[in-house]
Amino acid sequence: MAFLGATLNTVGLIFLTHAVYSTHEHTATFPHAPLPLDITIELLVSILVLSAGIVLTSPSLKPIEWARWSGKLQREGRHGEGKWTREGEEILSEGDPYAFLGLDGGIGGKGEGRMGFWDVRGKRKEYAEWARSGGKN
Amino acid sequence: MNEERELAINPIVLTSMQHNTQVVSNIRSLTASLFGVAAGTLGMESYTGFVFYLIGTLIVSGLIFSFRAEGKASEYFHRPLGDLWGGDVVSGLSSFVLTWTLFYGLVRA
Repeated sequence: MAFLGATLNTVGLIFLTHAVYSTHEHTATFPHAPLPLDITIELLVSILVLSAGIVLTSPSLKPIEWARWSGKLQREGRHGEGKWTREGEEILSEGDPYAFLGLDGGIGGKGEGRMGFWDVRGKRKEYAEWARSGGKN
Repeated sequence: MNEERELAINPIVLTSMQHNTQVVSNIRSLTASLFGVAAGTLGMESYTGFVFYLIGTLIVSGLIFSFRAEGKASEYFHRPLGDLWGGDVVSGLSSFVLTWTLFYGLVRA
């Protein structure tokens, strides 16, 4: 999509420059004649192509509803957007702002999850068995 | 009150809103000066130029609506009519007039 946009921009710029230059030459030679139809059409087509290219090269929009936005983040995860800092680090897209809570690991997962939602008795039992077995493994 | 309850149920992400507004205003300011070039070169005067600008912004809004918002404007804009179709039309007008007069003077005068 970005490549298509860049192509449209280049083509549009070339046609726009040509049309403006043609108009300038035409008005310099025949100051009072109306502009020929082909220059007008070229100009209008070139600005249409250019504005399509500008829209296509612009960054994509983000969903504003929280549910859709966070759903999109979870589906796609953090990934590079093809931009790098001057030091060579890749700039990542925005991530889940509540990932540090670890909610995903705790509910039905194998990880410990959020600290406040620990299974304390389970952990204590696990520790007791480990101590009874002599602290091995 | 009703809208407040709606926002409590379906909260809105502010950073996404700012990002979308930024994208639209960038596109607007770029295309506005482009339409100015066209209007000046075609030698438009007075109301014709402003009508040309309005038609141009309408076309660009349609392009954003179909290519960037994929036809679902309410998913990306809180008020699609004001933020997408009418967003930044007035602020683009000044750069339109600037390039309009510049190119009218360069090409026509």
